[in-house]
Amino acid sequence: MKTETIYSAGIDIGTSTTKMVVSRFVLKNVAGITHVPKIEIIEKSVLHQSPIIKTPFISKEVLDMEKIEQFIFQQYELAQIAPTAIATGAIIITGESATKENAREVIHAISDTAGQFLVATAGPDLEGIIAAKGSGTMQQSKNTAKVIANIDIGGGTANMAVMQFGEVIGTCTLHIGGRLIEFHQGKILSISPPIVKLMEKWPNPLVVGDAADDVRVAQCIDEMVLTLVDVLNGQLTDEQHPLLLGHLPNWHKPVDVVVFSGGVAACIYDNECSMRQYDDIGEKLAKRLVAHEQLQSFIWIKPEETSRATVTGAGTQTTDISGATIQVDADVLPLKNVPVFNCYMDVANRSFDDIIQLAVAQADALFSTEDHLSPFALYFNELPYLSFQDVHTLCEAILHHLADRSSSELPIIIVIQSDYAKIIGQTIQAINHTVPIICIDQIKVETGDYIDIGEVLPSGVVPVVVKTLAFHSK
Amino acid sequence: MNEQLVSMITQLVMEKMGQDTAATPIEASQPSVLKLVETAEAPNTTVGANEPLIKLYNGVAQSVSQGVASSIAQTTTEPAKEFQFEAGDVSDSVQAARKHTPARIGVGRAGTRPKTKTWLNFRLDHAAAVDAVYGEVSDELLQKLNVFQVATKVTDKEEYITRPDLGRRLSDEGKALIQEKCKKNPTVQIIISNGLSASAIEENVQDVYLALQQSLSNLNIDIGTTFYIDKGRVALMDEIGELLQPEVIVYLIGERPGLVSAESMSAYLCYQPRIGTVEADRMVISNIHKGGIPPLEAGAYLGTVVQKILHYKASGVGLVAKES
Repeated sequence: MKTETIYSAGIDIGTSTTKMVVSRFVLKNVAGITHVPKIEIIEKSVLHQSPIIKTPFISKEVLDMEKIEQFIFQQYELAQIAPTAIATGAIIITGESATKENAREVIHAISDTAGQFLVATAGPDLEGIIAAKGSGTMQQSKNTAKVIANIDIGGGTANMAVMQFGEVIGTCTLHIGGRLIEFHQGKILSISPPIVKLMEKWPNPLVVGDAADDVRVAQCIDEMVLTLVDVLNGQLTDEQHPLLLGHLPNWHKPVDVVVFSGGVAACIYDNECSMRQYDDIGEKLAKRLVAHEQLQSFIWIKPEETSRATVTGAGTQTTDISGATIQVDADVLPLKNVPVFNCYMDVANRSFDDIIQLAVAQADALFSTEDHLSPFALYFNELPYLSFQDVHTLCEAILHHLADRSSSELPIIIVIQSDYAKIIGQTIQAINHTVPIICIDQIKVETGDYIDIGEVLPSGVVPVVVKTLAFHSK
Repeated sequence: MNEQLVSMITQLVMEKMGQDTAATPIEASQPSVLKLVETAEAPNTTVGANEPLIKLYNGVAQSVSQGVASSIAQTTTEPAKEFQFEAGDVSDSVQAARKHTPARIGVGRAGTRPKTKTWLNFRLDHAAAVDAVYGEVSDELLQKLNVFQVATKVTDKEEYITRPDLGRRLSDEGKALIQEKCKKNPTVQIIISNGLSASAIEENVQDVYLALQQSLSNLNIDIGTTFYIDKGRVALMDEIGELLQPEVIVYLIGERPGLVSAESMSAYLCYQPRIGTVEADRMVISNIHKGGIPPLEAGAYLGTVVQKILHYKASGVGLVAKES
């Protein structure tokens, strides 16, 4: 059976470190010969792992874009892959780096120059999930009924993703990380704002210049670990907790197993702390995590990747492959950063025409300005069982509300969860054969997600990266 | 049945009705009522049989007792409660595993046998499979699709099952009808047969056929005159190939029903089938039904397969060889 190979790049710009991987995917039709084809990634191999470098900054608040780009192109050379050969992948800007002034600019600039189809992703929930995939925890979770929490502790944040049976059941992000307190020559060099806030209620908080071995440093670390334990036990209910970033834990099953990944985890499992050239609380935090009595009540599993979990996840785990029976106008691909609008199919109460009209109006209100229409993808996730007549009515409704405005810059983009893309795309073409249409299926997204759709591969499928661009604000 | 027994039952029933059916101490005596009615010859059966028995005969018991004790004054019986099995109580792991297979896993057991619910479901699926084989495609459907009907040399279902060779030949009337009504030398000839599952055709053929028609017309591929064959076998397409000389035949036929679905349809495709065509030259898209490949998507996909067959002038193994 024929296979095809594509190349993917993953770049992780974290609070303290930046790294990159280049990997190769092998795609193959996995469906039986008597079935409709189903193209899947059957093999992923990492071709090149970059060294872990310190994230370059121009000033405290500005990332050094030039240095980052230099690093990336250097790695392409070492991997002996031309940037143009990269078909998919993700740049992910994580932890506190995502809050820097030029974070968005950096990510977009790099995604334009560093590969034909490199994309930008960020957002703490997604980071946690990508880390869990890259560390191998997601794969482990497919083989057990145990509820596993992957805790990726980097320089600035701890991103947790909780999984069972290979599905994410919740996420949470905490301000716990190695670089939240930095030292220099035995003295405190900096304290990050969440830690300052944490110490607000202390009678005598730490300040810059205090000794590095001050007992209050250990006290801060203790608070971090205790907060983590509370989250794992489902006991953190204070939305205003200074160490909480974003929402409260949102899973409803008790955690059985913990897996630590990220830079700090390297100190937990491998005692590789000598590799960390950073003078900060990372090592102490790792030691405290290992020694903490309450954390010992969980089962501990060692991940496949620690420091490189997120970058491996970004490079190898973010790409989906669309269904094989789809309808795409190859001329308008690739498409980048298309926002998704989930069109709820309330067919019991309303006609297709009303549903589409409302969805288009709502999507325009969200994504377009008065004088500039933006493309968006209509997502149908709960299509009822459709007859041929139903499909025709639906397609007529879609054309009624979208055909006039469509152009090669504004193609009609439809994403369907179930296997209907070919018939819907084909029916639209039958009714109006000039309108540019991208109709793909077997992709799970939500309103608020963005998708990138790559160029058509020889087997007729398209690579799709689902992402959320929600940058967390300070 | 002795009089004493009847009056005893009557008394118990009256008592029961007087006290409603709530879970009162009287419940303990309920099983004995049932037992007595059921096994009148042995009134000494153990009292207090297990609980599910009570549930099972909840409504029935009342009407039975009424029948037996016809001397009871007219009483208003509650309508028999609809019987329900206890809810399945399986672990998360089993539930997760179930998502990956339609097989009957994690169904539990009663002693060495399956539970009644499992057994009934199995019987139901088996009966549906048998019905699918022995059922017929309705005339309404054929009218809706605007197709005429021809027969094979098979006379009845039994013969269809025991003599596959006869299902591979058209009846003389059928041949004449096809020659009279059908367009000769079409690019694509679509044929439909109930095969081993009439319900597969009833459920799926309309959507597949309409989607396939649309797909072929989008691709500017010309279609012959579609017709329906009663009790056909796959290789019958060879004889039709001889008669009409099409480039490609798409043969929509009901699959042998299984216990997962009795409504699964296949589409067999062949480039220039003629008498003597080998099986390796045929290809199939199977498992077309609501729970498998959605009929509409299958129809849309079939169009592209036909296009490929026409492009390479080959089907089956020959197509795979030419493609690579």
